[in-house]
Amino acid sequence: MADLELSQLSYVTTKHHSFKSSTKVKPSNKRFKPARQLISDEIKYLQTKSLKFDTPTLTSITAPPTLKPSKKYCDITGLEGKYRSPSNNLRFYNVEIYQEVIRHMPPGLDQEYLSLRGANVILK
Amino acid sequence: MSPSKESTQDTDAYPPQAVYSLRDFTSPAASEPFYQNYQFGVPIALDIGSSQVRIGLTNSTLPNNVFPSTTARYKDRKTGQMLTLVGNDVYRDPLSKSSIRTIYDGTVITNWDHVEYLLDYSFEHLGVHSDNGRVDNPIIMTEPVTSTVAQRKGMYELLFEVYQAPKVTFGIDSLFSYYANCDGKPNNGLVVGGGNESTHLFPVLDGRGVLSQTKRIDWGGNQSQQFLSKLLALKYPYFPSKLTPAQTTLMFQDFSYISDDYQEELKHFLDMDQLETKDVVIQAPVDLGTPEKKKTEQELAQQAERRREQGRRLQEQARQRRAEKLVQKEEELAYFVQLKQEFEVLSEVQIQKKLEAENFEDINDFNKYITGLEKSIKKQKYGEDDDSDDEIDPLTAWPLVDIPDDQLSPENIKEKRKQRLHKANFDARQKNIEAKKQEEELKAQYEKEQAEFREKDLEGWCSTKRIELAKFINRIKERQKILDSFKDRKSVAAQQRMKNIADLANDESGSTNANSRKRRRNATSTIDNDPNDTFGANDDDWNLYRDISNVNLEEEQAEDHTSVLALEAELLDHDPNFHHEDTLAATSTFDWKNSALHKFIHGPRPNISLAMQIEGIDPDEIATKPEIILKNHQLHLNVERIRVPEILFEPHIAGLDQAGISEISQDLFLRRLDGNFKPGGQSYNVVQDIFITGGLSRLPNFDTRIVKEFTSFLPVGAPIRVRKARDPTVDPWKGMQLWSSTNECESSYVTKAEYDEYGPEYIKEHGLGNVSLL
Repeated sequence: MADLELSQLSYVTTKHHSFKSSTKVKPSNKRFKPARQLISDEIKYLQTKSLKFDTPTLTSITAPPTLKPSKKYCDITGLEGKYRSPSNNLRFYNVEIYQEVIRHMPPGLDQEYLSLRGANVILK
Repeated sequence: MSPSKESTQDTDAYPPQAVYSLRDFTSPAASEPFYQNYQFGVPIALDIGSSQVRIGLTNSTLPNNVFPSTTARYKDRKTGQMLTLVGNDVYRDPLSKSSIRTIYDGTVITNWDHVEYLLDYSFEHLGVHSDNGRVDNPIIMTEPVTSTVAQRKGMYELLFEVYQAPKVTFGIDSLFSYYANCDGKPNNGLVVGGGNESTHLFPVLDGRGVLSQTKRIDWGGNQSQQFLSKLLALKYPYFPSKLTPAQTTLMFQDFSYISDDYQEELKHFLDMDQLETKDVVIQAPVDLGTPEKKKTEQELAQQAERRREQGRRLQEQARQRRAEKLVQKEEELAYFVQLKQEFEVLSEVQIQKKLEAENFEDINDFNKYITGLEKSIKKQKYGEDDDSDDEIDPLTAWPLVDIPDDQLSPENIKEKRKQRLHKANFDARQKNIEAKKQEEELKAQYEKEQAEFREKDLEGWCSTKRIELAKFINRIKERQKILDSFKDRKSVAAQQRMKNIADLANDESGSTNANSRKRRRNATSTIDNDPNDTFGANDDDWNLYRDISNVNLEEEQAEDHTSVLALEAELLDHDPNFHHEDTLAATSTFDWKNSALHKFIHGPRPNISLAMQIEGIDPDEIATKPEIILKNHQLHLNVERIRVPEILFEPHIAGLDQAGISEISQDLFLRRLDGNFKPGGQSYNVVQDIFITGGLSRLPNFDTRIVKEFTSFLPVGAPIRVRKARDPTVDPWKGMQLWSSTNECESSYVTKAEYDEYGPEYIKEHGLGNVSLL
């Protein structure tokens, strides 16, 4: 694509817009808050409100934790995971997966697999 | 039948799999269209989602522009100009790809500068123009479910202060989509909105979304894409090119599907017949560059030919030179022989004079030289093996050997020594031949015995041989275990070995405590010049290194392997029930059809690089073969195809501690609604219209799975009906367009004056939007 075209495409956005007042303030250079902070701000804001018990809020509509026993799956293949490696808690489908993958797994890789289902150890 | 033959037969037996090329996002060739029918006062509907933006004036039934919600702002290197690109334009330049941003971080908008660019771009394309510096249209916009106050404030500020829009209203995209699919007359239903960042379940009663009963699962298309990307990175850790989010997104969209019965399908997913249809091969682009390679091979052959030619020429030259030398030597010999004849008639003095003239010391020297010449000529003419020992008679060849030294002259003693050496040589050779003969005899005898044994009792012979074979195989396996256990640092064998090494390092030469104390006192001595260190004085000391390394074990292992091969050969020849399949090599070769791991990684085809290794092709050469390079750039999607979408029903697969779609719905239908499935009941009404929308609704079998899951908890005869949005991405916009002409819409606008008075938290509640927190 030619540069001319790119700059034309860019011009559509950056040119003076008749629908914006000419006294428009330049976009400020202030840092925008990351999502995590925005959400914690929202939670703080919600606490200042006296809301009815069933008012839907960001936190109240979150799906509740499951009450059903969770099924076990092989961490490597995703197949049924009947067995668990005692050394690193990885679940596996059969002895082949254990012997070929889990037994000689380089350090750290087991944590990568565990992190898929949020079972990894997080050091703080 | 060699293993390689088998494997080639295997590859012949299977037709090649269909290969899909790795898709990447490409922007359409045409640039975004500009809307021609702009009118003041007509509401503008903006559906700004986290993956796509749909915008349009509501005097049209379709959005004018649909583009990804991406922006990029960077300095063009050639022109030094700051470029601000939005939507599809971002993908038009490879340079801008690295600076692609989205306005969202998860579910919330974080990058307001870019929102403004995006809105500028949108309004320009909608043909918005003005003579008073404002957007003179009401704005209908989507916002997240339970939008944060900060986000609504930001959006109000932009729309009211920067664009000075007259009035604004917000709604929820999934509910708008439902509205559109009910043709503006929504009644009762359950909306399942599978979005890019989260999935929501909204009950709708009497046409109004019930936000208080809505639940959100924090899993959407983007998380699915990331999960798939992680899975593939772990499955193919050496994949040569990095997959971009756009590529994994398209992979997820193209190939994943929801399993009707996950447990059952999972059980048989890797069965050969199932895998044949379900395994998807994706080929990443790769540059093979083969034509150049072939040319060099030809050149190599030419080069080798040239070198051989040159060698031949040199050999020819050497031969000629030798021939010339031979002629020269013969002439010399003739001359000296003649000279010798002349000497017979000359006096000693004259002879000496002549000799000195010819550069000889004396007559001995002269004679020596002549015999030397004779020998070398003879050698050249008749080859070197004229002193061969084939007709040596051991009785007469060395006459001096048995005569005592004192009866011999000094010269003869010298000669005797020589002869003794020759004799010893000859004897050794003779002994060797004898031993060989004996061995052969033994072997023949053994064979004869075995044959007799077989003739007498074939079964007995077979069983004894088999027992012997089993013993060897057992031993090999045991030893292999020990060898394997050395790889594991914590195994007993490895620890014993470490102990040995530690002992050696400490002080292996049996030093007493006094000794080591002495050494410690002697500060100047190091390990190199320690006088007390006697290691090596005894040759057996060095055996320790042998013990430490596993050479012994490996040697024994190799020996046993050869005996196994010999036994197997015998059994193959004579035992009618022993076939090639029963040999140790055959049983221990890889049976990929029964290997879950192989089928998971390589799909339902044999591993061609393994087959090549068995054929004995050099690994470096294998790596350069085009089919191997192609294969290394291939991904197999199989279990992932159902594993990733299954997370919507079992979020714990991805470590999400939330209930899945069906569990939430079960709770909703049976407990949170009235649970009445008789005509007129709430649950009865809602269950009749389960509506799936959002990008995830495009997953195949979503509807049939929901029917199946829901029937399992609904009472018998509940009138369940499930449908999918007609066009899950555009329907929200269509719903906004439909809704824009209703009174409900008209009454839910917030004007600039109201915003100024009530502040950014203020909204007017309506059936398709959020609940006011004021």
